[in-house]
Amino acid sequence: MIIYRLEISGSIYSWRGAAWIITAASIFSLVAYLLLTDKELSLLDQGEMLFTFSEVIIVLGLVMSGINSSSSISTEIEAGTFECLLLTPIKHVQIAIQKMLSTVTIWIVLYLISIPYLIVLANGTNLAISAILYVGLYGTLLSIAISTISIALSWMLKTSKNSIMVALMIVLLLSAPSLFFATSLRKTDFGIMLENINPFSHTINSLDSVLVDNQQAVYEQFTHIWPVLVFTIICSIIFLTFTRKFEVKML
Amino acid sequence: MYGISAIALEKTYGSFRAVDSLTFNVKSGDIFGLIGPNGAGKTTTMRMLCGTLSPTAGKTIVGGFDIAKESIKIKTIIGFLPESTGFYNWMNGEEYLYYFARLYNIKEPIARKNIRDLLDRVGLAAKAFAPIAYYSRGMKQRLALARAMINDPKILFLDEPTLGMDPRGQQEIQKMLLDLNHEKGVTIFLSSHALTDVSTFCNQIGILNRGRLIAHGSLNDLRKLVNGSTRILVRILNTQEAISKLSRSPFNNTIDKVTEESVDFIISDDNIEFNQLVDWIRKENFKLTELRQIKMNLDEIFLRLTNPTYDKHSTPVTIKKSPSPQVGQTPSK
Ligand SMILES: Nc1ncnc2c1ncn2[C@@H]1O[C@H](COP(=O)(O)OP(=O)(O)OP(=O)(O)O)[C@@H](O)[C@H]1O
Ligand SMILES: [Mg+2]
Repeated sequence: MIIYRLEISGSIYSWRGAAWIITAASIFSLVAYLLLTDKELSLLDQGEMLFTFSEVIIVLGLVMSGINSSSSISTEIEAGTFECLLLTPIKHVQIAIQKMLSTVTIWIVLYLISIPYLIVLANGTNLAISAILYVGLYGTLLSIAISTISIALSWMLKTSKNSIMVALMIVLLLSAPSLFFATSLRKTDFGIMLENINPFSHTINSLDSVLVDNQQAVYEQFTHIWPVLVFTIICSIIFLTFTRKFEVKML
Repeated sequence: MYGISAIALEKTYGSFRAVDSLTFNVKSGDIFGLIGPNGAGKTTTMRMLCGTLSPTAGKTIVGGFDIAKESIKIKTIIGFLPESTGFYNWMNGEEYLYYFARLYNIKEPIARKNIRDLLDRVGLAAKAFAPIAYYSRGMKQRLALARAMINDPKILFLDEPTLGMDPRGQQEIQKMLLDLNHEKGVTIFLSSHALTDVSTFCNQIGILNRGRLIAHGSLNDLRKLVNGSTRILVRILNTQEAISKLSRSPFNNTIDKVTEESVDFIISDDNIEFNQLVDWIRKENFKLTELRQIKMNLDEIFLRLTNPTYDKHSTPVTIKKSPSPQVGQTPSK
């Protein structure tokens, strides 16, 4: 796990590397402050508040996973350090897995930072545990999915500009319908079909049903959990297939 | 045991053949120099031998292992200095080498000791703790070389190892590599455009041209190959008749240089009899000031063999006593 450790130390231990932690904490504080103090927003019931905040955590986690994982490979390719890594007696897929795990670790740090906010926002309700568990579950699955697919992409696209761009577009593709589309648009036949296959929509709908409609039991959410799980597995299979061998052709 | 073989090795990009039916053998303990014009396929070949590029066809055996099947085993016994290496610029030289030592699974105390030793050998001991970002071009090359040797390889592949190094540095690195070869029997496979260095440093030389190995052997083998084995430089005092007499000589001579005092001419004739030559010089009453045999250097051999018109006007290339299996390669079209 040497590569993993280097990756992590670069993004957690050094001040510049850890700038994202401070930024994320600031975003969380800002959103929580708005939710709790704004006259109109604070009229929302607590379940809605928790739901909005969970969305913010998940979206932040996805964006971070996409950027971090696709750049972790492509910057090495661009800097010319990748060829030397490939010369060491480590399987290529191992390199990719270590890079992927470092992104998931960063997601977990992000998630841990968000937990106190969730607890505060859930104060006085029975939602705290569920909010923490479901955000953790969906966030981790989606983080794995996005990291694996982004690494597979940067393995092929090779430049960081292209791979970050494509990774971000995938995140947007998944999240835009739930976040930005009007309800009427989502209720068309095609819209419903898209929602049924979109793991992000399932995540949002599930969080909505847990936090707003108070359906906290796992069996009640199972219809939402399995599509996300399947998506993560598909991404992982693509990842394992593509990262088996790296060709230095364009280095 | 630790030799290198390529068998019908081939790499094509689309319809372009970067490396074409390459077959050769480098014996364990040899220092092999691969030379060839830009784009000849040297880097491509070395990458295929080290397993970072898969061949389109053919096979490579390195240190007794087939790279297609046991690339991890090969990677533990080889070191490769790529044509251009990037660095983690925020690390210092010591940290960089330590990172790679760990990737090769070398235990900490041994790694630390080896690193100190290596930094010393490549002449970077004084800069071991400076960030790599502050290293000069040549210093980076030295660090890359140290990295290639971090796992104590039995076979070293070096793609233009002394590129960017100062003359003293080049000599130091050559000496270090020679020591490595003598003391530990490390097989060295290098590519370079510094032909003078290659000719003194390598005991086997291969010339690659447009993806094909057009010659392989010792420097003397290569000289024979281009029929450039015997050439004699004669320097005589410049007298009025000297030049006109030369034009009527029975030998195949070309005038090399004419100054006010002297005339240099070169006789290239494989079957020349020295006595005949001396007799002729006496007869013509030349005032001889210098007479010596000149050997064709690698630059000339290289230029001849890689000259696009060469193969049309010469006999097919054959090396008689080459140890390699591809004896008798003909040059590419
Ligand atoms: N990915 C690629 N796609 C297409 N052609 C390539 C690719 N990589 C290398 N080539 C071609 O293969 C040929 C051999 O390249 P290579 O880098 O091996 O040359 P070289 O002998 O190392 O040259 P130099 O002395 O300049 O280092 C070149 O003509 C190059 O353009
Ligand atoms: Mg090259």
